[in-house]
Amino acid sequence: MVHLDLHLKEGKTSYVAIGLEGSANKLGVGIIRHFPGPFSTTNRAEVLSNIRDTYITPPGEGFLPRDTARHHRNWVVRLIKQSIIESGLKISEIDCICFTKGPGMGAPLQSVVIAARTLAQLWDLPLIGVNHCIGHIEMGREITGADNPVVLYVSGGNTQIIAYSEQRYRIFGETLDIAIGNCLDRFARTLKIPNEPSPGYNIEQLAKKGSKYIELPYTVKGMDMSMSGILAHIDNLAYDLFNNKKHNKTIFNDDGTPKVTVEDLCFSLQETLFAMLVEITERAMAHVGTQQVLIVGGVGCNERLQRMMETMVLDRRGFIFATDERFCIDNGIMIAHAGLLEYRMSGKGFDYSDTVCTQKFRTDEVLIKWRD
Amino acid sequence: MSDELIQLAQSHLQNIPLQVISQGAEAIVFTTKTHPYLPTSKDSHTEYIIKYRPPKKYRHPQLDATLTKHRTIAEARLLQRLTNIPEIQSPGLIALDARNGIIWMEKVGYELIDYDDKISSLKNWLWRYNDNQEKALTEEIKIALEKVGCMIGKAHVNDVIHGDLTSSNIIITEAQEACLIDFGLSYQSALPEDKGVDLYVLDRAILSTHPKYAEQYNEWLMAGYERGYGKDKKSLIKLKEVLKRYEEVRLRGRKRSMLG
Repeated sequence: MVHLDLHLKEGKTSYVAIGLEGSANKLGVGIIRHFPGPFSTTNRAEVLSNIRDTYITPPGEGFLPRDTARHHRNWVVRLIKQSIIESGLKISEIDCICFTKGPGMGAPLQSVVIAARTLAQLWDLPLIGVNHCIGHIEMGREITGADNPVVLYVSGGNTQIIAYSEQRYRIFGETLDIAIGNCLDRFARTLKIPNEPSPGYNIEQLAKKGSKYIELPYTVKGMDMSMSGILAHIDNLAYDLFNNKKHNKTIFNDDGTPKVTVEDLCFSLQETLFAMLVEITERAMAHVGTQQVLIVGGVGCNERLQRMMETMVLDRRGFIFATDERFCIDNGIMIAHAGLLEYRMSGKGFDYSDTVCTQKFRTDEVLIKWRD
Repeated sequence: MSDELIQLAQSHLQNIPLQVISQGAEAIVFTTKTHPYLPTSKDSHTEYIIKYRPPKKYRHPQLDATLTKHRTIAEARLLQRLTNIPEIQSPGLIALDARNGIIWMEKVGYELIDYDDKISSLKNWLWRYNDNQEKALTEEIKIALEKVGCMIGKAHVNDVIHGDLTSSNIIITEAQEACLIDFGLSYQSALPEDKGVDLYVLDRAILSTHPKYAEQYNEWLMAGYERGYGKDKKSLIKLKEVLKRYEEVRLRGRKRSMLG
């Protein structure tokens, strides 16, 4: 068992951290409290505040780094102020400031790092840089109580299947090209459906009305998968459907009436992509020999994905863990949680020269000191 | 789950006694003493393998049916092709029921008497000696691993990519010959890239399953692999290309910082 309280300051009965997240189009600020001792059903992390503001673009457009960074710069002070008020804490009660070190988009990451560095100097507090993926995994474990799960991390920028072994979260399988969320978002752009509240959510709602399954490429390679070909294929189908290309017999009947609807396309896309995800998860479960599955990341909110995964896991007599949108979608609280774990192990912040961000930062680069 | 799936398998294989030997993510493997179409004498000891891909409830029935059919046919086709290549040992194909995802094949390997009667996969075969360094690095093991490497080389010369080279997917027969099994992820390709990745998968698998002696084992495997390409000039050029690509794959971006 790892001892988590080697650096508990005298007179303190708990640890408090504030986390800043801004690796993509969500800006999140969260404040978390840990009590000494190992985590258990009676000793849970306490969420004091968890707020988020999302940069929404018009239908048909994605978020560009420069504009997203501007959004983060505009909102970060307001969000921090609000979260401090919400938590009811005094600044002096905070132990450390945590920020997303990477991976993510350069400009948005940078704007948040600058905010974190400024705060650290203003309040004279240590700074901790956190790997975004580790944040998701640790928060998911803490919220659901999953002990040693296979983790499926699915979001706009990442698709990885991860399991813990010897102080690292090791990647067993991942996407070979684009991430699943990226695939869904880009198809939403093709359909010109709103990005509010999120493109993936809107695709999910459309898919619920679809029923006809159209065959799409299926590209699982061992425990890895590839999605760019599927996107290109379905984009073409949508293009033909919108432009009345009646020669395409996959989507038009002989008399020229459409065979399929936009809803059917969304339905088929989800069915194919999620079947691939569940398949690689099952393979990883068999490989690692565990019975638990934890889904994290923005796409993890999708109810259809959760249901499919549940069917597979129950068939294997296992357990499934998933969180709701508060913790699935990028948030500040997970950064605070993972950063605070790091802080409890080392007792100090990063050297000032290390408090930078990086666009490439793999999950298995982080030494997980707080697990054995 | 297995009870339900075994019943399902049994419904496709009526009056055939089945015994589960392994259950992976994709398929269940049974043994049986009954041959699908030849008469079986009561005291025959020959066993056959039945590989059954059960339907997956989580995916759309249409998708499930297509995948099961495609994968079963692909695997059977490859097994059939391999029987025509004498240098590569693999189980012979006996029967195929593509729609229900069932393949019958010959059984290879034997039970390791000194290792809980487990099947003689390379993994178990090597693990017997894991705690004894002297025994783990004998000439016997060196020869066997070189044979394994040689066979993988031969497969690659014939443009067969195994796709899932782990020590559990290689069988050591009683005559101490190597035999490849489980072609569920296999395909044909002449690209050095695919061969390099195949070798990389093996390298990783040995490293994670036999960490103590991985370096030596991999060295022997690679020595055998190079031998598998033979001596004529054309093959040696191909070998050089594959080895170069293998190095590249090892250093490649996405996978670079995989620490195990």
